Amino acid sequence: MNFAATIAKACPGLKLTTEPSVLESHGRDWSDLEGGAPLAVAFPNSGEEVRQLVLAARQTATPLVPSGGRTGLSGGAVSLGGEVVVSFERMRRIGDYDPVDRTVTVEPGAITQSVQQFALEQGLYYPVSFASEGSSHIGGNIATNAGGIRVLRYGLTRDRVAGVKVVTGRGDLLDCNRGLVKNASGYDLRHLFIGSEGTLGLVVEATLRLVDPPPPSRVMLLAVQDMNSVMNVFRRLQSSLALSAFEFLDDRSMFHVRRAYQLPGPLEEDSPWYVITEFDCDGEADEQAALACFESCLERGWVSDGVVSQSERQIAELWRYREGIAESVAPLAPYKNDLSVRISRVPEFLSRLQGLLSEHYPAYDVLRYGHIGDGNIHLNILRPEHVSRQEFKDRCEDISQKCYELTAQLGGSASAEHGIGIIKAPWLGTTRSEAEIEMMRGIKNVFDPDGIMNPGKIFERPG
Amino acid sequence: MKILVGIKRVVDYNVRVRVLPDGSGVDTDGVKMSVNPFDEIALEEALRLREAGKAEEVIVVSAGGDECQQQLRTGLAMGADRAIQVKTDQQLQPLTVANAFLKLVEREGAELVILGKQAIDDDNSQTAPMLAALWGRPQATFASKVVLEDGKASVTREVDAGLETIEVDLPAVISVDLRLNEPRFVKLPDIMKAKRKPLDVVSLDELGVAAAGNLEVSHFEAPKPREKGIMVEDAAQLVAELKNRGLL
Ligand SMILES: Cc1cc2nc3c(=O)[nH]c(=O)nc-3n(C[C@H](O)[C@H](O)[C@H](O)COP(=O)(O)OP(=O)(O)OC[C@H]3O[C@@H](n4cnc5c(N)ncnc54)[C@H](O)[C@@H]3O)c2cc1C
Repeated sequence: MNFAATIAKACPGLKLTTEPSVLESHGRDWSDLEGGAPLAVAFPNSGEEVRQLVLAARQTATPLVPSGGRTGLSGGAVSLGGEVVVSFERMRRIGDYDPVDRTVTVEPGAITQSVQQFALEQGLYYPVSFASEGSSHIGGNIATNAGGIRVLRYGLTRDRVAGVKVVTGRGDLLDCNRGLVKNASGYDLRHLFIGSEGTLGLVVEATLRLVDPPPPSRVMLLAVQDMNSVMNVFRRLQSSLALSAFEFLDDRSMFHVRRAYQLPGPLEEDSPWYVITEFDCDGEADEQAALACFESCLERGWVSDGVVSQSERQIAELWRYREGIAESVAPLAPYKNDLSVRISRVPEFLSRLQGLLSEHYPAYDVLRYGHIGDGNIHLNILRPEHVSRQEFKDRCEDISQKCYELTAQLGGSASAEHGIGIIKAPWLGTTRSEAEIEMMRGIKNVFDPDGIMNPGKIFERPG
Repeated sequence: MKILVGIKRVVDYNVRVRVLPDGSGVDTDGVKMSVNPFDEIALEEALRLREAGKAEEVIVVSAGGDECQQQLRTGLAMGADRAIQVKTDQQLQPLTVANAFLKLVEREGAELVILGKQAIDDDNSQTAPMLAALWGRPQATFASKVVLEDGKASVTREVDAGLETIEVDLPAVISVDLRLNEPRFVKLPDIMKAKRKPLDVVSLDELGVAAAGNLEVSHFEAPKPREKGIMVEDAAQLVAELKNRGLL
């Protein structure tokens, strides 16, 4: 029996479609990657239906691709051809909220932003936040261990997950950690699933920790002269202000975001680098501290100008210069890198990266921005008009190779927060040792002995 | 020419307001306070007029307790030349504020007063018209475009039917609408400079204005929360549910 017949028998109510438009839309994500058409797309309604799907997939040796909000940037949710895509769109319930535990239990298809909204309604806060939060799913966030702009204070998705229910590639339903704060009872399997990009099993439920809402805050946008100064400003601000975000962008990023959204220049004069930072500001004393910081940075020549928000609306307006970057260049199909090094090594990393780019690719338009407070740099490379798509791709792979070598030399990671997916699989070895990769494959084998869970992701397909 | 701009301290537009349990008001404890967004637009317009050489001085005025000095400092940092606080700890009503502004207009010899079309906390929309009436001068409300020429202001207003342009003789009162301009960001160096700009304090008594008591607020109430929707399976159930609720 084939997959469709098997699942129809085991689970008659389950929606499985082969409609071409759905195969097309659900077989891809935000990366520009061309995969291959999936066999079908399934829309389960419950954890039990998911389990039936996995059992049917095992029986018929059909690979599965878990699919969330499809905002992933590494091709993790891209079908390579012939898989069944499991979409969690119908499992988006935001369920039990426990005010004592301060946790909320949600289905994997819950949209990140609706969880944030739900938390606010309870007088609490869900701090994982980034530009695609209006579409991304909690399941996708867990599978990629999503970061974003509040990692500096609140950590990654990993730090929010109190418990997770998963269906493994064997078809077992595991209830990992059950929302406990303390649980010293051996291996914490929960953490294996966080960041596993759907290669071990499917997340069918998550219990998330909420936090106190942050106090009133302000956002500063600063004009900074060079990368060393960016780090100096970071140190200076961190020593006197309670920072909840510290992000940077270069002049090219500013150019593109302004052009795309017709934004006025935030400052009178352009600057090679900008910092956008948010800090707690609950009255005169905090305001004075922020001003004092700015003054001392000005005196040392690290910053040349800056503005500060006067209202919540201006907070949103200033964030737009950072949050709008990725989308502003999306129509230009940039080649993206998402690198991280230890924070202390960022200036060295960026200056060597700059050397590398100007030596080999002086004509390329490169945007550099990211979560500098976490040592995370996003590079977006744009295709010059006179370069063909294929040539561009080849050259970018060559740039990537050099970037990853540099990242490896500095002890960094080839994927800070977007995941390895398909796109970075060839470079896994620049971040992980051979022994590590062997262990990782071993772990995959335990949870997914038939290799049906998102094959070709994280580990390159043989051949 | 001197331009007077009113600035009100209000709960920030983006803050979810909570009604106090006894219904006596809105909880402002630990809540972010900002300049009324329409007043920010009024100030931006005044600054642009000054920058275009149409005015020499922009004075920001706020009536209230000492906490409103914070918003006046914001106004100074945006670029106003000086600030005046009309000090009072009483609850203020539009008529009182209009009377106080009138005294200041006379004292300063201002020829143009630019105000927000309303404050987002009480939505009264009264101060500008009241001031114009007390002053005996023309008013142009809900401005989405302002042009000053030859002692006149040509003001485009947003009205139900579209846009209407009127001309008023100066001195006059203009109240501004949302689309007039985009207020600038406050520059950090200007906040430092603003500390050295004059901020005068004058009490209601000193201005010879008695607080009006012609309005009385009986109580505050939160809007009813929206009821949760239900998912229906098909059209038949939809019709049944609507009938059930007497909506069909
Ligand atoms: C404009 C923009 C800005 C972004 N900014 C950031 C940022 O700042 N920080 C950041 O970390 N990311 C960022 N991203 C990347 C992306 O939004 C995140 O990786 C997000 O977590 C992906 O969630 P998703 O639901 O869209 O997952 P998808 O793209 O659908 O899937 C991602 C991976 O998760 C797997 N998966 C999905 N659901 C499940 C499930 N229930 N069980 C098991 N596996 C599952 C998929 O197979 C895939 O491998 C950005 C993306 C865009 C487009």
